[in-house]
Amino acid sequence: MLSKLRTLCLKGIDGREVSAEVYIAPGLPSYTVVGLPDAAVKEAKDRVVAAVRNSGCDFPSKRITVNLAPAEIKKAGTHFDLPIALGVLAAAGKFGKKAPARLGETFFIGELALDGTLRPVAGVLPMLLAIKGTGATAVVPAGNAAEAAVSGVKCLAAASLKDAADWIAGATELGPCLSPAAGAPAARPSRDLAEVKGQAFAKRALEIAAAGFHNILLVGPPGTGKSMLARRFSTLLPPMTFDESLETTKLYSVSGLSAAGRLLHERPFREPHHTISDAALIGGGSSPRPGEVSLAHNGVLFLDEFPEFSRPAIEALREPLEAWQVTVARVRESVAYPARFLLVAAMNPCPCGYLGHPTRECSCTPLQVQKYRARVSGPILDRIDLHVQLSAVKYADWEALPDGEPSAAVAARVSRAMETQRRRFSGITRANAFMSGVDLRKHCALPEGASAVLETAMNRLGFSARSLDKILKISRTIADLEGAADIKREHVTEAVQYRMLDKAAELSAAI
Amino acid sequence: MGGDAGEERLARVRLNFFACNRCDWLLRLMELYGGAAPLLTRPAAELAAESGVALETADRLKAQTSACDPEKELRAAARAGATVLTGLDEAYPELLKKIYDPPLVLYLRGSLRAMPAAGIVGTRRATPYGLRTAARLSADLAAAGVAVVSGLARGVDTAAHEAAVKAGGVTWAAMGTGLGTVFPSENEKLAERIVGAGGALISEFPMDMGPWPSHFPRRNRIISGLSLATVVVEGGFESGALITARFALEQGREVLAVPGQVDCPASKGPNYFIKNGACPAETADDIIACFPPEYLFGVKRVRSAGARSPSEAALRDLSADALTAFKAIAGDEAGLTADEVTLKLAWPVQRSAAALFELEAAGTLMSRGGRYCRAV
Repeated sequence: MLSKLRTLCLKGIDGREVSAEVYIAPGLPSYTVVGLPDAAVKEAKDRVVAAVRNSGCDFPSKRITVNLAPAEIKKAGTHFDLPIALGVLAAAGKFGKKAPARLGETFFIGELALDGTLRPVAGVLPMLLAIKGTGATAVVPAGNAAEAAVSGVKCLAAASLKDAADWIAGATELGPCLSPAAGAPAARPSRDLAEVKGQAFAKRALEIAAAGFHNILLVGPPGTGKSMLARRFSTLLPPMTFDESLETTKLYSVSGLSAAGRLLHERPFREPHHTISDAALIGGGSSPRPGEVSLAHNGVLFLDEFPEFSRPAIEALREPLEAWQVTVARVRESVAYPARFLLVAAMNPCPCGYLGHPTRECSCTPLQVQKYRARVSGPILDRIDLHVQLSAVKYADWEALPDGEPSAAVAARVSRAMETQRRRFSGITRANAFMSGVDLRKHCALPEGASAVLETAMNRLGFSARSLDKILKISRTIADLEGAADIKREHVTEAVQYRMLDKAAELSAAI
Repeated sequence: MGGDAGEERLARVRLNFFACNRCDWLLRLMELYGGAAPLLTRPAAELAAESGVALETADRLKAQTSACDPEKELRAAARAGATVLTGLDEAYPELLKKIYDPPLVLYLRGSLRAMPAAGIVGTRRATPYGLRTAARLSADLAAAGVAVVSGLARGVDTAAHEAAVKAGGVTWAAMGTGLGTVFPSENEKLAERIVGAGGALISEFPMDMGPWPSHFPRRNRIISGLSLATVVVEGGFESGALITARFALEQGREVLAVPGQVDCPASKGPNYFIKNGACPAETADDIIACFPPEYLFGVKRVRSAGARSPSEAALRDLSADALTAFKAIAGDEAGLTADEVTLKLAWPVQRSAAALFELEAAGTLMSRGGRYCRAV
């Protein structure tokens, strides 16, 4: 007999409708899955057999063929267990000669345990979003109920294979998926910029980075608060919009990371260790998965000890930094994961870390320092607008330091500046960091005194023509933070401070 | 006799392969046998007996000198544009001949003009004060027509050479490697500029000798030996600069020292010398005043104004904010970071950023590793 069910699969971060067909023919017992399944899908057989038997049904000892159509999409994941098991039951005649309407119209997703209970699976939200608005119903594992509720699709939560089978037969009803109690909002950010003492320039640079979507590099000896500042950076950004948080949650869902199935409200902050492989950083694998850059989508990617990352990993950042997405191309398929993140990188000024330290002596030779800094290649450095030097604070000074400004106050200025940019760039979400040459000429006209500043920076301090563009962009953001329509001289002189690695003298003087 | 002299010259180059490591006893033996050529014909046992060194040492001498090819060495030197000087040559510097153990062979790139010379030495890890002072003294000496001798190392040496070249003067670098290698390698360009400006690179080590730790203290006797006076700018007690100063004293030359703050480890060495009677070097005049009078012909009188604070005019052109910031920074020897300036003056970052930019652009301040300090 033949049965046909509807289910879903993932292509990249988008869901696709898949139909699961099961045909049971007389003959020697066998079980074949066709339709481009991956290893996990093929393994479904053993789980399905055990789950069906342990749910009190017979597993037919016949020739079983499972087809997952359309055949050209690669099927990955364990969520085909439920539709296959139900298909087998249906084809074996469990629901009678004529299949109930519920069997053919509903989408089924779920992984089976050997005892027949349903386990939550990854990627429920993006899969369900594919059928949003069609009026269809889906049955999902109870463990995915909260996540499914976010999608807005009518979903029913089943605890086991038996529950689902009984519901199809009309013997029981399944409970709807509900959003978690609204009384449990996203935990308040427990960190605040005010906790970081001193480092006025670095804090200001972070404010500018947040406001203009500039990537930033923090350079400083160990213990100067690079990581502490970076971890508080997301508190300067405005909360995610609903669409942003849906996009980000989709990526987390695909990776099986969706925390308790909630919609993510806080901007993601990803902090991969420097031993990470390039594939783990940008995404990849034979069946592609989003990498850290995509998990940081709409949030912050913090790369501590930046030069220690492998060269391929650092170079791989070029695509997402430029195109805001990562394309993972494989022979079978090519998927694109969005990756629009703000890069916060941190590094020591030299291999030993103590160059420029007031009390510790640096033991590196200029050549070592040069080599260390060259590990961050030019093209990457070119995509980082702000570099700022952090310095160790002497204890005596540290005690006397005033408390910093709280994150909320900074965030308010950032929001205002972002609003200005939204208006300037005619509605499209663009920021000062992405201004093209044309935009620069249009929006970054300099007053008389300010162009002299740039000239001096070039002639006396050895800035390159390229860094002048960066200075202009930063100046624009500084002016926006202040609410000034035009860039003023002091905006430019401040912007110069955030390009420390451009100063020609910086290295040669480090003898 | 031309043949004999040529043979003796080759013998000296050959002997130098061993002698560049230690040579006082060889000089005595050369005197005894009447040159390097006859010395090399003697058996190891006789050399050991005559000089009192161990037989193994004499054996090593025989082995090393017979393994090398002095003609090839001379060709390599010629290819690199280097002249090879021995004590037989007119051009061998007079002053260097007078020291206790003058180098058997001098490899030379550029020219060693007959002119008074002063050594400027100091630690590789100098403070901004040390670098600034070394550069100022060196520039003034160069302008006065005195050759500045140093060791082409990092820190004070580099500052001294740089400043002399920039001032259009003559500077000599006594290197701790063969002329085929520049150590540290970041000074390769500086080495070329020294030669280009009419100065010289000098080494007693065979052309392709790399950097060996024991060679650096040894070449220090050449720095002091070429100089009428040696100035210790900065250096702790174990610094190579102090070795140079001790060589200078042994060689009967003047030693001067740049006074420094008593709590600064880099000034421990020079302050110790001053305590023991060295003349404090405040200006180039102080150094020239120590030269024996017969060497003063041709030395120009320059008005060296002493430790300059930035000229009144430069300061007058600064804005009020920049002046305030400069005063805050100038008092701190190690320099201040932008953050510290902001904190000290209790200014918002924009204000201090503007002031720092103005000062850096005006050349009044320089920033090193994120710290702002007084520029040279």
